[in-house]
Amino acid sequence: MIQEKFVLKKENLHAFLEALSKDMEVFVPCHNENGATTFLPYNGQEIYTAAQTFYSPKQALNKPSEKEFFFGKKSSSVEVERVKQNGGKMIFGIRPCDTHAVKAFDKLYLEYGEVDPFYREKRDSTLLAALVCTEPCSNGFCHSMGTQEPTGHDLLMVEKADSFYIEAASSKGEELIKKHRGLLNITKFQKPELNFECKKKLDTRNLKEILDKGFFSKVWEEEGKRDLNCTSCTQVCPSCYCFLTLDKFILNTENSERFREWDSCHLQRFTKVAGNHIFRKSRESRLRQFVMHKLSYFQKNNDMMLCIGCGRCISVCPVGIDLTEIAAKIRSEFE
Amino acid sequence: MSEKMLTEPCQAKIVKIKDEAPETKTFTIKYVDEALQKALHFTPGKFFMLSIFGYGEIPISISSSPLKTDSVELTIVDVGNATHALHPMKEGDIVGLRGPFGNGFPIQKFRNKDIVFVSGGCGMAPLRPAVKAIVGKRSEYKKLTLFYGCKRSDQMLFKEDLKEWSGVENFNTLFTVDEGTPDWKGEVGVVTKLFGKADLKPENSIAMIVGPPVMIHFAIIELKKIGFKEGQIYASLERLMHCGMGKCAHCNVAGTYVCTDGPVFSGAELAKLPLEEK
Repeated sequence: MIQEKFVLKKENLHAFLEALSKDMEVFVPCHNENGATTFLPYNGQEIYTAAQTFYSPKQALNKPSEKEFFFGKKSSSVEVERVKQNGGKMIFGIRPCDTHAVKAFDKLYLEYGEVDPFYREKRDSTLLAALVCTEPCSNGFCHSMGTQEPTGHDLLMVEKADSFYIEAASSKGEELIKKHRGLLNITKFQKPELNFECKKKLDTRNLKEILDKGFFSKVWEEEGKRDLNCTSCTQVCPSCYCFLTLDKFILNTENSERFREWDSCHLQRFTKVAGNHIFRKSRESRLRQFVMHKLSYFQKNNDMMLCIGCGRCISVCPVGIDLTEIAAKIRSEFE
Repeated sequence: MSEKMLTEPCQAKIVKIKDEAPETKTFTIKYVDEALQKALHFTPGKFFMLSIFGYGEIPISISSSPLKTDSVELTIVDVGNATHALHPMKEGDIVGLRGPFGNGFPIQKFRNKDIVFVSGGCGMAPLRPAVKAIVGKRSEYKKLTLFYGCKRSDQMLFKEDLKEWSGVENFNTLFTVDEGTPDWKGEVGVVTKLFGKADLKPENSIAMIVGPPVMIHFAIIELKKIGFKEGQIYASLERLMHCGMGKCAHCNVAGTYVCTDGPVFSGAELAKLPLEEK
């Protein structure tokens, strides 16, 4: 075990990220070409740590569209080839709440039922360098969800005025610190206690039972009326994982590829079956699916809430739909 | 089943194609890798994720008997992109199989009972393995009844089987169509209209239902009127799965996964599921 505590001076941040990037693809919080904050592979860009990113870091693990298989047509057979995933990845500066979203993915893809080898390959080579929050974000409610401390991370970081406090949280994290020891300085600084309170709250006591009882509540109809089904919430959500599979030909009808792409329960076609039958036709039914999957359904198979309390869906919603308010209204009706 | 069989589309060859009804064909399929074919076993009601390479992967119920696993049959209507690409395919062409998935009908539990099959349209395909398995072990079950309704008589699937089953001892087969045609001499109307024409004895019966959502809904209501309890009713639900393993969430119905918890549900489970979400 490493006994010393280290800080990464901000003047060394880029040197550190460059050194890491030699071994792995390092996703960092930054601005995208449209000015929105997100996580992108490090290429020398300015790092954004002032607040929560607009987009979640989930695209480091599950890209909006990713190739899973290549199918090569031969004269009397089809070659089925699993597309190899880029080995070695780090999500640098992932916030504690977002590490819980990764935990939800791990439970779903690696623990529940059959293991998904596609996710396993990506996850096995992904490191998490968590950056703890020292003040509340605009719409987060991590204290309500119990996600204010990071989980499953390899490094833990705390931002200070001129440096990042950094400590190993796993053996892989320890190896990294040893390897890049030259860029770090020894410190006497101790990890501070996190003593801020989120502005938003969500009462989670018996929430699943209460929401399940409120399946036919009028609240869904009222909120559903406003819902634009724009899917913004499912795009920015760190734990929304619903995907579809899609085959695409490569130029002709000989060779093709199979993609996994983000899907959204807010779209009508999400439940469309042969013969154009749609099981969730109304906006309210699709809003309910989103909220219930976050706060109730996921627990059945995976023993945790899918909502990790980052509040991004609230920040992004163009009509101000707020799942904490929906939950509170249903609680007042059915508790 | 191995991880490979469940998570990778495995090459399978179309060995036989049979025209079943307009725009409906039964494809007999064998894994190219014989070891996979040998490893295959399934209960009636399970489904495969079928790859038509380049066109997509779709959930398709197995329509052949679980007692015969040296090949599998998939009965498929030409209705979407993948099925439309499949239909012109020929014997010898290669498709991909992933699975089988789902729970299936627990027919072992139904031994020594009267069995009632209720089927609508292409719902006969997922039900056929159960009928075949039960007819194949006829002495283990009591009285059998099949109710089968279709839009038109030419859309009835497995006509040879239907003829054969009507000759099986103590097997009452009743048919109806929505639209009578000049050649149709039988019943016209919804499948539940047939229930009164069979001498059903609910006390020792099990009903298995496969069909469109509206048919399942009314079949359950009518069976309950006759005296069936929720625990005696089983129905198979349809959703468009993309993974088959409870991950993609397309078949999530109020937290229940049709792919892993189903597709077969007991009446008690169905009563808790909002089948059509308003």
